[in-house]
Amino acid sequence: MRARVVVTGLGIVSPIGIGVSEFWKAALAGQSGISAITSFEPFPMDGYRSKIAGQVRGFAVERFLDSAHGERVDRYAQFALVAAKEALADSGIQMAKEDPHRIGVIVGAGMGGMVMGEREVTQLYQQQKPHRVHPNFIPVITLNSASGIVAMATGAKGPNLTISTACSSSAHALGQALQCIREGRADVVIVVGADASITPLVFAGFCSLRALSSKFNDQPERASRPFEQSRDGFVMGEGAGTLILESAAHAKKRKARIYAEVAGYAATSEAYHMVIPREDGLEVAHTMKLALADAGMTPAQVDYINAHATSTAIGDAVEAKAIRQLFKSRADKIAINATKSLIGHTLGAAGAIGGIASVLALHTGQIHPTANYDDPDPACALAGLSRSPQERRIKVALLNAFGFGSNNAAVVLKQVGT
Amino acid sequence: MATDPTISLKIRTSLGDYLKRDPATILPSQHLRDDLGLDSMAVIELLYRIEEAFDIQIPDQDLMGLTTVGHVVSYVEKRLGKTGAAAPAKKPTKPAKPTSKKKP
Repeated sequence: MRARVVVTGLGIVSPIGIGVSEFWKAALAGQSGISAITSFEPFPMDGYRSKIAGQVRGFAVERFLDSAHGERVDRYAQFALVAAKEALADSGIQMAKEDPHRIGVIVGAGMGGMVMGEREVTQLYQQQKPHRVHPNFIPVITLNSASGIVAMATGAKGPNLTISTACSSSAHALGQALQCIREGRADVVIVVGADASITPLVFAGFCSLRALSSKFNDQPERASRPFEQSRDGFVMGEGAGTLILESAAHAKKRKARIYAEVAGYAATSEAYHMVIPREDGLEVAHTMKLALADAGMTPAQVDYINAHATSTAIGDAVEAKAIRQLFKSRADKIAINATKSLIGHTLGAAGAIGGIASVLALHTGQIHPTANYDDPDPACALAGLSRSPQERRIKVALLNAFGFGSNNAAVVLKQVGT
Repeated sequence: MATDPTISLKIRTSLGDYLKRDPATILPSQHLRDDLGLDSMAVIELLYRIEEAFDIQIPDQDLMGLTTVGHVVSYVEKRLGKTGAAAPAKKPTKPAKPTSKKKP
């Protein structure tokens, strides 16, 4: 029998709180982490169509880490380190008592070290002094810098991987970690999702894609409105989430507190378009179905969905359509929320942060509100969405994540013993 | 309609370049998606070219009115102040339907 996999630790860096308790309190209160972008200064915001984002405020890596590991990596990897450290402490795992080769790190990251990347490129082209490119430029922008530094900071010597599938990166990281432990290749995997690329170039790129909300620049907290009538694009966010995945046997042996079980995972491609999803929703429905089958479950057992829900017109409509296709009349009985309504779209971190919201929903019976769900769009109205927090005893949760490159992921989480 | 033929020609040339076809076969009445086969991303790429060709910026909110070649021509004319004629590039349709077509 394949090993069962459980979640024993959580950690987060988010626009509404650094640390799980701060994040969860703010999330349940429906607090928005979206505000005007100030970090580009002195670069002017005038030419940007969108001028807002979900930014992590007051983050100084030295406040959170007592080692020098954080100093040599980019902002996204610093977030990853802080979230991983919190999650590891939360899990109670003591590295000195573990076989380090049995502990892996799998990071999902979409953009990587763009803060330094952009700075160095700009400087090189402006000054034309190749010898002044920073010696750390390559290690910092290499996309596995976060998974590397998390291993160095923790001593985890098992599989060390980075998954980059744009906005679904860390949902796949969760799924790959599940498979890694199931197959017996590790006892514990530190799963991280991280991105911090609210930078002048990357942000301009998303503006040019016409993917970002631009109607609510004067009311930033209203801009991220998944499934709502007046939504006009997503709001970029940044952050990191970490979940400690562990074989149930290993967790039991060390008498760990168990939050939830990771029960199933599916990965598919729509093989369709770089940025547009298939409008019929069939592939999304198929992905959710496969993940449930992997968990040995049926759609009838699902009672909560943490939706991908970025607040774009077509993305939300397709996801709602797929949910209706798969769950049929039960679709309106399932509690649903959109974590991006609070913090924006944290890209590579989104799957892990959605995973944390799902684990906490299973663990506490509380479902955070979907902010700005004022006037449901008839094209994607689902009764289980609410702008108020919901209290429901849920046993099975589904986490959706879809990414550029025609990429879909779904992860099934459940209460242990379900 | 008092239109400026150079604007229409420039837009049709731009479309012709993009679609690799003779601009003369591109008609104002043609629908960008249904007749010319542009998906939402291709429309955005086309408008990116047009922004540069005419040195204008097209706000996101104006996108949904631009569904035919003629709409794009009228819109650019209006933006450049070349015509006061009835050029309904777009009306700010009701309480703002979703416009963005991406899924990230």
